[in-house]
Amino acid sequence: MSATELTGIGVGSRAAVGEVFLLETSDAVYEHQSTKHSPAEEASVLATAIATTAAGIRDESATSDPTAREILEALLIILEDPELQEMAKPYLSEGDDAPTALFKALDEFAELMGDDEEFLSRVADLRGIAARISGWVRGIAAGPSIPTEGTWIIVAEDLTPLETSQFGGSVVGVVTELGGPTSHTAIICRALSLPAVVSAKGAMTLTPGESVLVDPEGNRVVSGGTLSDATQALTFIPQSDAPLITVRANIGGLEDATHAAKTSARGVGLFRTEVLYLSASREPTLDEQVASYVEVLKAAPAGKIIIRTIDAGSDKPVPFLALGHEENPALGVRGFRLAHDFGDFQKSQLAALAAAIDATGRDVGVMAPMVSTVDEVKSFHALCHEAGITQVGIMIETPAIIQVLPDLKGILSFLSIGTNDLSQYLFAADRMHPQLGALNNPWQPGLLRSVNQVVEKARDLDIPVGVCGESAANPLLSIVFAGLGISSVSVAPSAVEAVSTALASVSQKQAKQASLLALAASTPAEAEATVRAMFG
Amino acid sequence: MTINHTFTVMDPIGLHARPVGQIVTLVRESGATVTLRNSEGKEASAASALKMLAMKVKSGESLELVIDAEDDAAGHALAEAIEALVNEG
Repeated sequence: MSATELTGIGVGSRAAVGEVFLLETSDAVYEHQSTKHSPAEEASVLATAIATTAAGIRDESATSDPTAREILEALLIILEDPELQEMAKPYLSEGDDAPTALFKALDEFAELMGDDEEFLSRVADLRGIAARISGWVRGIAAGPSIPTEGTWIIVAEDLTPLETSQFGGSVVGVVTELGGPTSHTAIICRALSLPAVVSAKGAMTLTPGESVLVDPEGNRVVSGGTLSDATQALTFIPQSDAPLITVRANIGGLEDATHAAKTSARGVGLFRTEVLYLSASREPTLDEQVASYVEVLKAAPAGKIIIRTIDAGSDKPVPFLALGHEENPALGVRGFRLAHDFGDFQKSQLAALAAAIDATGRDVGVMAPMVSTVDEVKSFHALCHEAGITQVGIMIETPAIIQVLPDLKGILSFLSIGTNDLSQYLFAADRMHPQLGALNNPWQPGLLRSVNQVVEKARDLDIPVGVCGESAANPLLSIVFAGLGISSVSVAPSAVEAVSTALASVSQKQAKQASLLALAASTPAEAEATVRAMFG
Repeated sequence: MTINHTFTVMDPIGLHARPVGQIVTLVRESGATVTLRNSEGKEASAASALKMLAMKVKSGESLELVIDAEDDAAGHALAEAIEALVNEG
């Protein structure tokens, strides 16, 4: 029997089999209705309905994940605010029933909040709770409640904190049409250790009650599949003592550096210096900066250290740099662009780094984040030389800088690709957007071929290229990067061992083969599946 | 006893739903009266989640707390706790 198969993005590594439970909400709770009761009577119904429903939701969520509960509590407090009932009163006076007036008051408030994205992302949840309140008033269930008996795979468009908070022991897996690797659903499922496949197109066409296999390792959902069909997690057996390419650690400060030194990381591929400044209320003096850097450099694992200069922006503000509000911080004044307005600070950071390099004698390269033009690179290079820093590099995060790499010959000592931001800017897709998770999948051919382009252009410059984005923490992708000609990867200290093991288990020839397969694929699913098949 | 406490909102997404909910609960438990005031002089009672959200306080903006508490110590402790909820919550 050929089974229906949906592909998406897997969350977790364990597979699960269960019966489909479609989570849909009945339209009747949202209908606008009028009432024969007086506005005062309806107002009292509304107050009772809000209080009763809120108490019920608090009971049900008492055992759910603390993060989900905090968000849910905030939503309940908004709905319980007497101010909202005040806003509902004019609608009650016009003859609306309590639920209709509540929905209209919420809409009015949402309009008042305008383009506040954080709030807009909560409006669906608020309406979800309002639907329960409406269901209570009108005597209809706001949605089928999940049975406490059985083994269920919850299938929905996307899940809200209200819905995930109601998951009990009968829920064994989750499939959603929307969402990405960092969406609410994915984060909660990871926290609850629930296998999930998000961004699975066609999920809502699954038949209620049918048995399906949720196979996160295989990024798929299989109708009628059994656990024996599930994709097995890969295990790598080291064939040599050293990984094929250098594995370094990403650090943000002293604590990470100390932790990284206990792993097999050979040096640091990304030291995010902004962490030292984000919590400082005033600009640290030169001596204070030198002291912090000396501490970190001394504690860092043996090997080369790559330091990134301050990477802040209006969404990652540094208190002593006055960054105004921006409509679109990801496309705003961030990274090295700050050096234009805050030149003195950039100079003082570089002077501090140079002094710390001198004091510790460590082998250090310094790189700039978020550069996109030859002029920016030249200006960073000049600032570094003025400070006495000789190994100068840049992050590859913008598509524009890739095209001008040939013009940078003789200026730079190394390149480092930040795959998270490079994806965001290549695909014009916000990293946190619930509907755009699939575009930020690091197996996207558009990303992998761009990485390949960087390596090819860097060959003419005769300088090494590293990858320091989260994608390198995926063992299979680290092998692909090695095959493309990347000479080092840098990952979170917790991922160093897994990546080192994978890279010690393959030959140069196998890595090359894996990279050719990945480059030839036209979809992320095909890229991952063909590379996985080599090692599975 | 009325005290004033001004701080800069550092959370990347500004003053958002989760800390606002926590502030309502905290202020309710403390029995104090707390008003938030932004740099333009716009005010909201810390008893109303909706009013605080409607101030639309962004990251980098300064926020003043006007706290009417039993005594100075309680007021300052409440101020610190609210600042922590906003910036570390």
